[in-house]
Amino acid sequence: MQDDTRRGLYNTPKEIAEAVVFALPAILFLVCFLLIPIVGTFVSSFYRDVSYLPREFIFFENFRRIATDSTYWRSVYFTVLFVACSVAIEMVIGIIFSLIMHEAFPGRGILRGIILVPWAIPVAVSARVWELIYNFHYGLANYIVTALGIAGSPINWFGNSVGAFFALVITDVWKTAPFVAIIILTGLQAIPEDLYAQAKVDGTQFMQRFWKITLPLLKPVIVVALLFRTIDALRVFDLVYVLTKGGPGGSTTSVSLYAFKTFVAGDFGYGSAISVTLFIIAWLFSILYIKSSRFLEEVK
Amino acid sequence: MKEERIKRVLLIVGIVLTVSFCLLPFIYMVMVSFAKNADFLSLSSRYVFTVNNYKEVLFNANLHFLDYLKNSAIVSVVSAGVAVLLGSLAAFSITRLPLPFKGLVLFVTLSMSMFPQVSLVGFLFSFMTKLGWINTYLALIFPYIAWVLPLSLWILVSYFASIPRDIDKQAFIDGCSSWQILFKVIWPLARPGIFSTFLLAFIFSFNEFMFALLFTTDHRTRTVPVGIALFQGLHGEIPWGTIMAAATVSTLPIIVLVLVFQRNIIQGLTRGAVKG
Amino acid sequence: MNHTIGNRRIIGAVILSLAMCFTSCSRREKVLTFAVGGAPNELDFWEQLCENFQKETGIEVNLIRQPTDTDQRRQGLMVGLRAKKSDPDIFLMDVAWIGQFAASGWLEDLNSLPQSESIEVEKFFPTVVNLAGIYEGKLIALPIYVDGGLLYYRTDLLEKYGFRRPPETWKELIDMSTKVQARERATNPDFWGFVWQGAQYEGLVCNFLEFAVSNNGGLLLEDGKISVNTLENVQALQFMRDLICNYRISPPNTFTEMKEEEVRIFFQQGNALFERNWPYAWGNHQSESSPVKGKVGISPLPSFPGGRKASTLGGWHLGISIFSDSKKEAAQFLKYVTSYGIQKQLALNLGWNPGRVDIYEDPEVLSQLPHLKDLRVVFENAYARPNVPYYTQISEVLQRYINAVLAGKMEPVEALVKSEEEISEVVRNYAR
Repeated sequence: MQDDTRRGLYNTPKEIAEAVVFALPAILFLVCFLLIPIVGTFVSSFYRDVSYLPREFIFFENFRRIATDSTYWRSVYFTVLFVACSVAIEMVIGIIFSLIMHEAFPGRGILRGIILVPWAIPVAVSARVWELIYNFHYGLANYIVTALGIAGSPINWFGNSVGAFFALVITDVWKTAPFVAIIILTGLQAIPEDLYAQAKVDGTQFMQRFWKITLPLLKPVIVVALLFRTIDALRVFDLVYVLTKGGPGGSTTSVSLYAFKTFVAGDFGYGSAISVTLFIIAWLFSILYIKSSRFLEEVK
Repeated sequence: MKEERIKRVLLIVGIVLTVSFCLLPFIYMVMVSFAKNADFLSLSSRYVFTVNNYKEVLFNANLHFLDYLKNSAIVSVVSAGVAVLLGSLAAFSITRLPLPFKGLVLFVTLSMSMFPQVSLVGFLFSFMTKLGWINTYLALIFPYIAWVLPLSLWILVSYFASIPRDIDKQAFIDGCSSWQILFKVIWPLARPGIFSTFLLAFIFSFNEFMFALLFTTDHRTRTVPVGIALFQGLHGEIPWGTIMAAATVSTLPIIVLVLVFQRNIIQGLTRGAVKG
Repeated sequence: MNHTIGNRRIIGAVILSLAMCFTSCSRREKVLTFAVGGAPNELDFWEQLCENFQKETGIEVNLIRQPTDTDQRRQGLMVGLRAKKSDPDIFLMDVAWIGQFAASGWLEDLNSLPQSESIEVEKFFPTVVNLAGIYEGKLIALPIYVDGGLLYYRTDLLEKYGFRRPPETWKELIDMSTKVQARERATNPDFWGFVWQGAQYEGLVCNFLEFAVSNNGGLLLEDGKISVNTLENVQALQFMRDLICNYRISPPNTFTEMKEEEVRIFFQQGNALFERNWPYAWGNHQSESSPVKGKVGISPLPSFPGGRKASTLGGWHLGISIFSDSKKEAAQFLKYVTSYGIQKQLALNLGWNPGRVDIYEDPEVLSQLPHLKDLRVVFENAYARPNVPYYTQISEVLQRYINAVLAGKMEPVEALVKSEEEISEVVRNYAR
């Protein structure tokens, strides 16, 4: 054995082999169940693969079909609108939550735990709870809305596309604003206290301090949270599947749900083509995300 | 000071609003689960307490709720366990050994965690069909391990990197193999990190929906999220009480985990998602 | 080197534990698996039925509880069938997607099964069996339960305003509605003449087909081409829109919100004179808590002059998986469920409309469910949606365009021209 004080920096074949052996099981799993399936999806997007038809190579036919498929474009429209609305609201509420959690008060740990609860339980389960909350006749939402006088009569949440859209946004905000808050909290904790002390001496107000000091310093972490949430919201599926099933009239069908429904209708080729388009968009965002989150600096 | 007073009031109001925003749906869920009629908020009805919903969920074998719970527990524990094991082997290799193309491996892994599930599910379904795994635990466990590995790997890399190298150098000089260094030296030191990773991997596997929806066909392998999502009635007569009792029973362990281990979860999340 | 041995040991342990898991979950006894969905009371009925079947034959039946939603039920079955699993052995299928299952080759020819001669095909509605149960000459399913669109009307209000019988034509329906609506509004401002399903979903297509067929229109399937854009269909569609915008006897939320349940509740609260709905609404209207109990009548839907009274065929069929590993037992179960005794129980216990014609003459059934007598005629003349594997995609196009017309975003001719274009695209993509 060589004297090894700079272990890990010697690239002897034996050491490299050992490194590969350690990393191999994980890499194998990732390759078999993430990388190969993605490649497979790309491949099958060039095929006609319908349960009642012979499998056939059709080049870009599926993508040509996407270009003129109004249902597809409506699902894109919904998805984009959903991402824009829910992520924007989540950011605002997330920042407010994080400001609260950053303060020192008794029971802060419990509050942090509570705030994690909506995030931690399965969407499919909480969506059932929200389904009851939005019930037209006896749900909690209409009870609150009419009791507070926000609306004169109960809202038929799932009866029309606008109600269904907002029902989804509210539920998504409830579930993920806490997660945003946790990420932004890390940014808040990194801001040195003496910056505020100096500002207080200068006589600036609380709100002024927020706009002038806190927000600019939080910008990097907000961008990271924003991108992360955007990628996550782009692939929204569980929530829509359980809460509105994509209705009414397909108005809340997300791209994920449309691809899934196409699979289930027996067409794996076209479903793959739809999911390929979603994959490409999500992947572009994830490159942006990785760059802005400074992940790779750690490695170097 | 006037400003301090305003700030205190705002803080208290904020805390109250935050807590009710987060917990109101759960309080409602628990209330409905103990109610005879789910419509107790309407004017023509009132609240009648009952435990029948729980009796039905826990003792009516035809509802298969306990099967779902068992399936979820097995699938999530095995997936999280294997993911942490494989993740720490790989993280050790990345932080301590001369693995070629480290940056590329990390970069590709991270971008994999952003894959939309729907672009995997079609191929995986055909794959599982060929293996004959549809409606077995394996059809869920293998994809779940891969699904939670990127996050596990990133959290573990971050923890392992924060352990000073001098410690394992010393162990190496004392004649320990890499294997021993990982499990006898690094693991004990990174125990909070290992635990956080396991918790998060468990939560992610427990919550997974789309794979479970498409790779299982019945109660022998179906997990809690799918079981509860597909539980419904005809033409508006949805058995809300039973659904809410099932939801309460299945979320309770998660809620307890989160409240008790919030510190570990937050640490894991922030290390996995953002380098602050 | 000791660490490589350690490596092997742990990898071995992982493989071993996964293998153990594999063997433990693939072990299963050979029992019949029956997949069925529905409301709790329906599932209770099926459970009891499976128990009785086991007592009589000694064959154990494992009941797979599916949801009510037809898409989710199709999805659950599709997973097992596309994966060529031997479970479920036998299951119920919606008439709207039975074509896809048949064309995918997932259904066993019932005539090829042992003792198939004892399946009494001739006892079932011949039209229904021909339209949905037979695919490429093979008997692939039997109707368990039949559905069709009906006109519900308020007997008390018709009498009050001097009408002796329900409307025979759409014109009569408009006249009655206009008169009653105008008078009733004095006491009930929310009162409307006629409620039907206009929201964008499968039910809208069923409604549209009824209007169209009652004007001698419909979906014409010829040489693999489907034509929608006919004068009859344009008139029918214009009429649907006129009900809302011109005659104003149907509420403005018809095209945004009205599905079966919204329509049923609206009528049941006493806010409408006429209602188009499926037979299930009858039981609800006549229940103890219903404000319209005892004031409701049923008749076939009206028609246009020279057209025929039309009702879209719905319902569920029982079929056997081609991948089943216990086809003999499945055939026995199919025979049991389609027997006279069980079909009668379905009618009496669940209020369903059985697929067997002879039940509609059973004195005990008729004394409890007198309306079944009229329904028989409706089902015998029911209009079936095209039995093609890609019907779902066709329907999706129609839903979108018909709904756009009701919403006033498009003219009927334009909508039907465009839907025909899109439907031929669907046919191009999915027809053999």
